[in-house]
Amino acid sequence: MDNLSYLFAAYAIIFAVIFGYVLFIWRRQVALEAELRAMEARMRALTETAGAARKAESRAGS
Amino acid sequence: MNSFVAVLRKDLMLEVRGGQSTVALGALSLLVLVVLVFAFNPGGGEQGAEAAAGALWVALVFSGMLGATRAVSAENENGCIRALLMSPLDRAALYAAKLAAAFIFMTVAEAASIILMVLFFNLEFDARVMRLVPAVLLGALGFAALATLLAGISSRLRGGDLVLPLLAVPMFVPALIAGVKASASALGGAPFGELAVWLKVLVAFDVMFVAAGYLLFEHVAGEE
Amino acid sequence: MNDRAVRLGLGLVTLALMLVALYMVFVYVPTEADQGIVQRIFYFHVPCAWVAFASFALVAIAGIFYLWLGQQVWDDLGYAAAETGMVFCTLVLVTGSIWAKPIWGAWWTWDSRLTTTLILWLLYGGYLMLRAMAGDSEQGARFGAVVGIVAAIDVPIVIVSVRLWRTIHPAVLVTRQGGHGLEDPRMVATLLVSLAAFTALFIWILCLRFVTLRMHTRLGALARTLALAEAAAHD
Repeated sequence: MDNLSYLFAAYAIIFAVIFGYVLFIWRRQVALEAELRAMEARMRALTETAGAARKAESRAGS
Repeated sequence: MNSFVAVLRKDLMLEVRGGQSTVALGALSLLVLVVLVFAFNPGGGEQGAEAAAGALWVALVFSGMLGATRAVSAENENGCIRALLMSPLDRAALYAAKLAAAFIFMTVAEAASIILMVLFFNLEFDARVMRLVPAVLLGALGFAALATLLAGISSRLRGGDLVLPLLAVPMFVPALIAGVKASASALGGAPFGELAVWLKVLVAFDVMFVAAGYLLFEHVAGEE
Repeated sequence: MNDRAVRLGLGLVTLALMLVALYMVFVYVPTEADQGIVQRIFYFHVPCAWVAFASFALVAIAGIFYLWLGQQVWDDLGYAAAETGMVFCTLVLVTGSIWAKPIWGAWWTWDSRLTTTLILWLLYGGYLMLRAMAGDSEQGARFGAVVGIVAAIDVPIVIVSVRLWRTIHPAVLVTRQGGHGLEDPRMVATLLVSLAAFTALFIWILCLRFVTLRMHTRLGALARTLALAEAAAHD
């Protein structure tokens, strides 16, 4: 390997590793956002059933 | 002060009344030295002195890890640790007691190691061996301080036995360098000036790690 | 989201600085007389080392705040700094190795700087393994903080002792001389710009990682509240 190849190897590895790590973080972010949406859906479901239950109660009570 | 003495006395009495720790540490040191003799096949003279110094410190590190783990987890059986923590015992005093116990175990094992080292590596029982002693004591104190704190962590983790050597070894490197250099100088008959530099490093190491352990142990030994 | 804007902004600043740095390293700066073009590795190798050590200090500082204040945000910061620092520390060792081979003919030399960086790498590794073993628990955060602090105070002593080790015993092995004997002001300028670029890169990546950890923490808390609420609703 002549010296230019060493230089290239060093810089290539730097970029590959940095890029790889950023990619890793990005995938984590995507997964977490999916989890967040799932939770928001559960929360909406909860508030809807709670709202429906309250409406049923007030109708029964009157 | 009282709690420190009480815990230390308890650990030492347990040991004297048929505990196996010092025997185990001594045996481990012996085995490590044997392995290293075969590994390095040392000749006499200066090369022998350097190999001997290195071997001594390897034995110190290995036996120290065992000693610290034992000192720290003495109460883990039978759940005594919970009783200990519920008492109004000062955490820092607990650390000091564990440190002292580990240090004493290590020192006894080191004394045995030094004798074995002289025998195995064809050295002489002369003044040069005595000049080893300060370095070894300082190194044992430093390692005990470090390992007691880390063993507090590793003994509380499932499968934590790997964690102790993994963390203790790199952290101990400065003292290891200084200790081996000081020991090799001592055994090689070098003047005290050469030793002094390395002893200063060891003292600095000890001060920092005893202080750090003293301050941080409460975060390790807290309630689960 | 406000923090999305911050992340984007940091990313753009990083990109800009990196492009300038690359130009300077490959076009602007003159070739060094002794080592030839391989010496240009230096301009990215040194900033990686700066980041690796700075990040370690950050782990320790975050650990101190975590133990003092007990707030999870400090642990999230510390962990992000540890992971990020580990990446850059690995790069220091790899680029240092690649640089050493053509210059000194060996992939590894026990010179004081590489040795110290190796110890740092082992300490990072130990921290991350500890966190992996302790899992997602308060105990893990606490232990991590303790280890981070102890390791950080160890680093100065490591630096001193390794340097003494390498100078008091004149090396039989080849040691790396200077590396900072930069005569040409263009070299100094290139190094400074590269340092700035890598600092920006570090801050950007740290933020990215930190944000994911914060989200993870918040989602954990949210999940617990949700589970309780759902259990209550089913009564």
